[in-house]
Amino acid sequence: MGRGQAVGVQNIVEDKVRVVIAEDSVLLREGLTRLLTDRGHDVVAGVGDAEALIKTITEFAAQGTLPDVVVADVRMPPTHTDEGVRAAVLLRQRHPGLGVLVLSQYVEEQYATELLAGSSRGVGYLLKDRVAEVREFVDAVVRVAQGGTALDPEVVAQLLGRSRKQDVLVGLTPREREVLGLMAEGRTNSAIARQLVVSDGAVEKHVSNIFLKLGLSPSDGDHRRVLAVLTYLNS
Amino acid sequence: MHTWKEIAHLLVNLPIGIAGFVYVVAALGIGGVLSVTVIGLPLLAFALFGARLLGKAERWRARLLLGVRIEEPSPMPSPSRRGGSFLNWLWSTLKDPVGWRTMLYCFIRLPWAVVTFTVMSVGVFVLWPILPFIARLLANADRAMVRGLLSRSDELERRIAELESDRGVVVDTAAADLRRIERDLHDGAQARLVALAMGLGLAKEKLLEDPEAAAAMVGEAHGEVKLALQELRDLARGIHPAVLTDRGLDAALSSVASRCTVPVKVTADLPTRPAAAIEGIAYFTVSELLQNVSKHSGARTASVEVWRSDQRLLIQVWDDGHGGASLDGGSGMAGLADRLGAVDGLFIIDSPTGGPTTITAELPWRDRSAD
Repeated sequence: MGRGQAVGVQNIVEDKVRVVIAEDSVLLREGLTRLLTDRGHDVVAGVGDAEALIKTITEFAAQGTLPDVVVADVRMPPTHTDEGVRAAVLLRQRHPGLGVLVLSQYVEEQYATELLAGSSRGVGYLLKDRVAEVREFVDAVVRVAQGGTALDPEVVAQLLGRSRKQDVLVGLTPREREVLGLMAEGRTNSAIARQLVVSDGAVEKHVSNIFLKLGLSPSDGDHRRVLAVLTYLNS
Repeated sequence: MHTWKEIAHLLVNLPIGIAGFVYVVAALGIGGVLSVTVIGLPLLAFALFGARLLGKAERWRARLLLGVRIEEPSPMPSPSRRGGSFLNWLWSTLKDPVGWRTMLYCFIRLPWAVVTFTVMSVGVFVLWPILPFIARLLANADRAMVRGLLSRSDELERRIAELESDRGVVVDTAAADLRRIERDLHDGAQARLVALAMGLGLAKEKLLEDPEAAAAMVGEAHGEVKLALQELRDLARGIHPAVLTDRGLDAALSSVASRCTVPVKVTADLPTRPAAAIEGIAYFTVSELLQNVSKHSGARTASVEVWRSDQRLLIQVWDDGHGGASLDGGSGMAGLADRLGAVDGLFIIDSPTGGPTTITAELPWRDRSAD
């Protein structure tokens, strides 16, 4: 995955992804479909529960037309607890190439940990509210579809807050901590640069400083970078 | 075999009777004399605690030799559970009726044991033809004593068990209510607000490219927000209707009845208002029953009557539907019955197949506290 993946209006077509939506509220399912279709993406199926999701994906896989990404609600029938997370973990094991973005009304660090177990490739966990920022949300869907990571800022904040490495984190400058947070969310350097309104070069400098201070070896892939950071914070 | 066990019991009475008597006299004597000092009362408390153990041993002996099975009394509340100090424990042990009854039992056992021992010893040698008869007679007296003094005090214990189970129901109901409210919020207003935020987000993006589409989206969002408001209002009313607090049952029930899909006649004959908790339960009972009328009964007309009779609040909901309502119909009736049971209420369903259905609920009347 390259740095130029940020989706602007101009490169919609180039980044067109195939999406399956699993969401029990018809209202939200239709809203999501409309939102993604409107940005030029292809919603190939919409289902209302986890069982149907697994069945649909299995069918697509059998035909050799696995979608790029699944957007799934955490709470779905029949028990309305964590069906979405369990289905996502299962699908990730069965189809390593499939991106999974889980949406939830609440952020639970436990769910994030389960989702990220093993690899942070093509995985996302966002609060449902984030769909209000259409552009950022679609960015996240595309990022996950392309094997990147999208973690909600609140998840990252929880991870940072609960990390036992507070003494090291204190050693970071405020700007470096900001960059660390954005990095953990799964953003690329150029996306971080845009967000903080600084140059790409400045971000790169911050990133290498952070890796130096945390004692991590800098890795090239963005998703591996996320994993390194998360593992560090969780250990 | 039976008789031999009884005879054995009656003979063993003497040594055990002596031991128990000595224990009681020593405990009361020493504890009583020392009660002028600090250690007197604690000593007495320990003695009472020990008496409970004696009682346990005696119940065991009665089960083994007399075939009398007696339920253990409730254990003493442990001091840690009450969060109390040693003094708390002391006080509750000193007034423990089970301990005192066992003391009394041990005390009267000695004269009785002397009688049984004597009669049995003589009986074995002289009266052996009628020995089984005498043994049965004396053993029965023994059984009565054990039942009378070593059993749990039925009335009180039953009430305790009842209250404990009621408390469980109340806690469960509260937890279930919270879950229901969370579910309603999650599936209703929260989902609607997310959809609304999504719509507005999309409109914001469209504003420059396609103002007309954006205007249509804002229009839709406006509709959504009105629906969200209505859902929140319904939910809030479901948690606790304001009109119930302000105006009482009559007004609140009229409002519930007006939302029922079949015409409902409400008659409330209450000169004064009951306690808020009773009012709340009465309201939710009627509200849920009318929901059942709307959903399941197929009725064309229904009525609600509420009145007071002595110290009871009575509610009757009638409908002319096809009947067949029951506690295990999965229509929330069992939940209602549990809820009413938890406040010592009653719930009676009369719903023959083919209808009509009359459901009567009875609640204890408590006056409204002046707050």
